[in-house]
Amino acid sequence: MPVDLKETSEAALVPALVTRREDAQSFMEKLVSGSLGWARKYSLFTYPFVTACCGMEYMSVASSRYDIARFGAEFPRFSPRQADLLMIVGTINVKQSVVLKRVYEQMCEPKWVMAFGVCASSGGFYDNYATVQGADRIIPVDVYVPGCPPRPEQVLDGLRLLQDKIQTQKHSLISRDQAAIAEDAGRRKGFFQKILSK
Amino acid sequence: MSKISLERLQARFPKDVLAVETLPHGDDVARVRREAIVEICHFLRDDPELDFKMLSDLTIIDSLTRRSEAFGGSSRASMEAPPHVRQQPSEAAVRFTVIYQLYSITKKHRVRLKADLDDKEPHLESVSSLWKTANWLERAAFDLFGVKFDGHPNMERIFLYPEFKGYPLRKDYPVNKRQPLVEERNFPDLVRGPGPGPGGAGVPMSQTLVGRINVNRETYD
Repeated sequence: MPVDLKETSEAALVPALVTRREDAQSFMEKLVSGSLGWARKYSLFTYPFVTACCGMEYMSVASSRYDIARFGAEFPRFSPRQADLLMIVGTINVKQSVVLKRVYEQMCEPKWVMAFGVCASSGGFYDNYATVQGADRIIPVDVYVPGCPPRPEQVLDGLRLLQDKIQTQKHSLISRDQAAIAEDAGRRKGFFQKILSK
Repeated sequence: MSKISLERLQARFPKDVLAVETLPHGDDVARVRREAIVEICHFLRDDPELDFKMLSDLTIIDSLTRRSEAFGGSSRASMEAPPHVRQQPSEAAVRFTVIYQLYSITKKHRVRLKADLDDKEPHLESVSSLWKTANWLERAAFDLFGVKFDGHPNMERIFLYPEFKGYPLRKDYPVNKRQPLVEERNFPDLVRGPGPGPGGAGVPMSQTLVGRINVNRETYD
């Protein structure tokens, strides 16, 4: 097949001129993101949303024998406003889904979610009228830990996976929701227009 | 020894007790007319020789698919109920059977009462005036089977939310039907497929044909 020389020469030139956005980030931004990620992944405050028998295994993970505190997820906070890791431990039924969504919305950004056990991950064997088929149908989930219930080692493995994810995410010192910024700008514009028209 | 309650019951209500049966291990069963259930329960509770002061359980059997299940056709009942099955008449002559498990704490014997209900608009007289525990048991029976108990002080759902439509333990309730309270998220899913709809993330695993053989897509609503 004959090669179009014009197109190939253009294609060879274009990547040199256009850099991707993350490539264009400054050295400082990357440094800040990396250190914030490092700080955040080792200081996870967990909110245990314990609804079922997986709670026993959660106790084992949290207490001295397996000791999730070794990995920085130090102690559970029983207020969603003080937590940044939501652990969904157990079956989520339809009546609880409302509460789960509310708890998730009460948590401050940045926040992460771990589905602890098969029931939270996929509904498990509760394939029936009363059970939500996985908490990810209600809220976004970062890490799924399978098992019925999972061994504590599996939970720690899931936590390490989440830490890797947090480290590779983009963190910035001031992060604002772009939609909120646009809404705010629109509101200001409307306010000034109102004043000027008077 | 164990037959005494049945004998006394038959002597007292010769017309209302339709059949009696004595099973091993002290299981006495009496099939009674549903119109006389309160009278019979009142007699069993207050008779000094029987003294059934405790209602241990109140349950309901749905006999819609009893015959097909007996011949190995359980899929008809438990997997999914397609519309053409739901429209078929009940196989059994009587669809719902209410079962009362009574126990005497002083005499240490027990008896089981069975009352058959009509198919359409099943209802029965409440025994919550006799045993306080019947209040919640009858509410649970109403919640899951839709059998109404006349004279009950608070005939509302006990487990499920008020938005729930239908009665989930009836055999003609589709096993795969879901009634979510929160709108479910639309997200790409490798196993369950993208988005809500048949085979998507908005439907449960049982509807996705993953690991299932005898599943017909067209039977789902």
